[in-house]
Amino acid sequence: MSEVEVRGLTKTFGRVTAVRGMSFTAPAGKVTGFLGPNGSGKTTTLRVVLGLVRPDAGAAVIGGVPYGRLARPRRTVGALLEASGFHPGRRARDHLLVLADAAGIPGTHVDEVLGQVGLAAAADRRVREFSLGMRQRLGLAGALLGDPQVLLLDEPANGLDPAGIAWLRGLLRGLAHDGRTVIVASHVLSEIAQTADHVVIVSAGQVRFAGALGDIGVTGNALESAFLKLTAAAG
Amino acid sequence: MLPLIRSEWRKLSTVRGPWLLLAAGPLLVVAGIAGLVQSGGDVHDPAVQSKALAHVALAALFTLVFGIFAVAGEYRHGTITDTFLSSPDRGRVVTAKLGVYAAVGAVAGLVSSGVAVAVTAAWWAAKGDSFHLSAADSWRTLGGGVAVNIAFAAIGVGIGALVRNLAVAIAVALAWIALIEGIAGQLVGSGLARWLPFSASEAVGRADMTGATRLLPQWGGGLVLAGYAVAFTVAAMVTTLRRDVT
Repeated sequence: MSEVEVRGLTKTFGRVTAVRGMSFTAPAGKVTGFLGPNGSGKTTTLRVVLGLVRPDAGAAVIGGVPYGRLARPRRTVGALLEASGFHPGRRARDHLLVLADAAGIPGTHVDEVLGQVGLAAAADRRVREFSLGMRQRLGLAGALLGDPQVLLLDEPANGLDPAGIAWLRGLLRGLAHDGRTVIVASHVLSEIAQTADHVVIVSAGQVRFAGALGDIGVTGNALESAFLKLTAAAG
Repeated sequence: MLPLIRSEWRKLSTVRGPWLLLAAGPLLVVAGIAGLVQSGGDVHDPAVQSKALAHVALAALFTLVFGIFAVAGEYRHGTITDTFLSSPDRGRVVTAKLGVYAAVGAVAGLVSSGVAVAVTAAWWAAKGDSFHLSAADSWRTLGGGVAVNIAFAAIGVGIGALVRNLAVAIAVALAWIALIEGIAGQLVGSGLARWLPFSASEAVGRADMTGATRLLPQWGGGLVLAGYAVAFTVAAMVTTLRRDVT
């Protein structure tokens, strides 16, 4: 199994407690929408799951194993994080080859994922020439490169045009349909309402709701009113 | 470790910045030797020939900055996140960088050496004297110069990992060489000053810039420089490299 499990996570940065006692499970075969206002601890939680941030308490495991102990991390988990960057002078294909080399993934797979995200024609362009949407697609290509069972995506629709958003929705649905675990952190509720099966709503570093989207309401409006009520209660 | 080494090499070979930076080394050698001759260096004096070749060690200034980019440059562009996702074992990442950057530093030193020999031979011929590379002294100077290029690349990797902020790391390293080591040397006295990194590099590269300090033997300076590279890297591994990547 490749579900993602977060248990009793707490993380403090200086005087700010970003995450306090967060616990939830994102099941395999489903798109889990990870929702919360700005500063609610979503990104910190994802970074703990990925071993980039060390929690003060609690743990996060992927299929029962912490990220740092995965035998082949990039082939197990694909991640798209907002702060992850690109060298502006590096070509898109070379950026992915750097990742492929480190993970022992054959270079031929790079052109496949470039095609998958619609960047085949831009493969030899330097990233400094890329629009925000193209960078987002390149980041997604990096996440998909290892054909991972688990995907952690922070605001993946950022910068995508309407056609790109529709494409992304199909991509995420397809990945979950294959039995993969897909976690999408976002605050674009209407988009999550169309994509997710399962939602985890957090605010002030704590889980306010975790369960099937159908338990809240499958329309964007129903999700929005539930979200506002759940996250306002926390103050 | 091999995949990480391949990845580090790919990072270097797919951007232009590091190569432009390293190309400045041989240019410094050309300008430095021309300056030595034009300012009245006597080509008939074997010591002047050695002094010309010692410019190879000064070119290590650029391998130092080159090394700083290894880790600090990744923090600057945010690519460090992807690097640590590929290898959660951060110590292995830095070890791979040390290997690759030291190797490139060696090549940079060899190129600077070749340029130094060619330029010195040309000047000596122009001044009507023949240039004798066969002298053991020349080889020791060139070998030492290459060693300084390697050591400074490795020290740069350690400094960049320890400081992480690219601008601060470069500023501190250059300020140390230009200013701080001189002051520190006066404070601690010449007996201790020769153990400081730039003085040790002068011993290795046989490029006695100031003449104020009694230098270590060449091999001793080499050990001291290797020690600094290890010390900075280990310090980074137990402090800054363990910190959260946000």
